Amino acid sequence: MTDRLTCGRDADVLVAQVADGNPSPADDHQRSCAHCQAALAEFARLWAPVRAVAQHRPRAPEGVVDDAMRSIRGVSTDPDFGHIDEGQGQTRIAARVVMVLARHLAGRVPGVRVALSGLVAGVAGHSTVVEITLAADYGQDLVALAARIRATVADGIRRHTGLEPVAVMVHVDDVFT
Amino acid sequence: MTRPEPAEPAGEDDTDPQADRWLVEKARAGDLMAYEMLVRRHRDRIYRIALRMLGNPADADDVAQDVVIQLWTALSGFAGTSSFTTWLYRVVVNRCLNHRRGQRPVGELTDADHPRAADPARRVMAGEELQAGMAAVAVLPEHLRVPFVLVQLEGLTYRETAAVTKVSEGTVRGRLARARATLMDEMRDWS
Repeated sequence: MTDRLTCGRDADVLVAQVADGNPSPADDHQRSCAHCQAALAEFARLWAPVRAVAQHRPRAPEGVVDDAMRSIRGVSTDPDFGHIDEGQGQTRIAARVVMVLARHLAGRVPGVRVALSGLVAGVAGHSTVVEITLAADYGQDLVALAARIRATVADGIRRHTGLEPVAVMVHVDDVFT
Repeated sequence: MTRPEPAEPAGEDDTDPQADRWLVEKARAGDLMAYEMLVRRHRDRIYRIALRMLGNPADADDVAQDVVIQLWTALSGFAGTSSFTTWLYRVVVNRCLNHRRGQRPVGELTDADHPRAADPARRVMAGEELQAGMAAVAVLPEHLRVPFVLVQLEGLTYRETAAVTKVSEGTVRGRLARARATLMDEMRDWS
C-alpha cells in the first residue's frame, strides 16, 4: 500500500497513524481535507480486528506451569508429608503444600517484594520449621517486618493445615529501592 | 510516526525487573521454587505471545509448556545484560517459529501464497472480530509477524524489538510498516 491519496498525502502514513491509535485528524491539512478524513475513518474501521487482538488479554490455561514443573521435577521427588491424626483417620499434607502456602503468606505481607520458602528438615509428624527468604522494600524496619512475616506465616499454616510451625526462620536476602 | 517508548514492555501489571533478577539468580543457582515463581509471574505473557504468534490456543498451550521446561536449562545462558522480560520474548518467539517450521510440510510461505485467514461471510458472527484479527496476524510472513507482534501488540519499543530479533531498529520500523500495510489490505478484502 504505497498509494497516495488524491490530496497527495501518503496512505501509509495514515495507516501508521491509525495503527498508533490516533484515528482523528492530526494536523490542519487533515482537519480540512475530506480525502484524509475519509481515509482515516476507513482505516480505523478496517483496523478493528487488529485492535481487538491488541486489547485481548488471554490468561494462560490452568495447568500450563504445573504440568511443565512436574516434568522438570520428575515424579516422587517429594515424599515428605506431615501427618495429622483425627478421630476417623489421618490427614497427610505434602511438604510442598506447606512451602507454597508459606511463600504466598509471606509474599502478601506489606513491605515484602518477593519471597521464597523452604522447610528446615521437612515436616515431622505434625510439626514443621519454615524458612522464608525474601527481598524487601527499602527504607523500613526490617526487624519489625520479620516479626510480621513470622506471625502471618505461622498463623496461616496453623489455620490452613493444622500443622504446628514450631519456628519460622526469616532471611532478608536483599532490599529493593 | 513514532510510538511512545515505554520504559518496560507493556504487559503484566506485576512487571518487577528487580524481583525478576533476584529470582533468576536463585534459579540459576538451582532453586527450583524460585524458578517456579519466576515462570508463574510470566506465564500469561508467555502464553499471550505464543497465541499472538501462532493464532491457535492449542499450539500456544504446547509452546508455553515447552518454554517453561526449556527455560529451566536455558537460564544458564541468560547473561543478565538485558532484562529478563526481553530475553524471555526472544526465547518464546524463537520457540514459536520453530513450532511453525516443524509443522510446515514444505518451504516458506510467501506473501503470494499464504491462505486467507477467515471466510468473509463469517465476519458477521459474534466474536469473529478477534478471531479474524488473530488469524490475519498468524498468517503474516514471519519476518513481518515478529516485529508486528512485539511492537504493535506487546508494546515493546523499537530498540527492545531490535534486541529480541537481532536486526537494526530501522529494519524493525520498515517491517512494522509493511506488516501494517499488509494487514490493512487483508482487512479490506474481508470487509
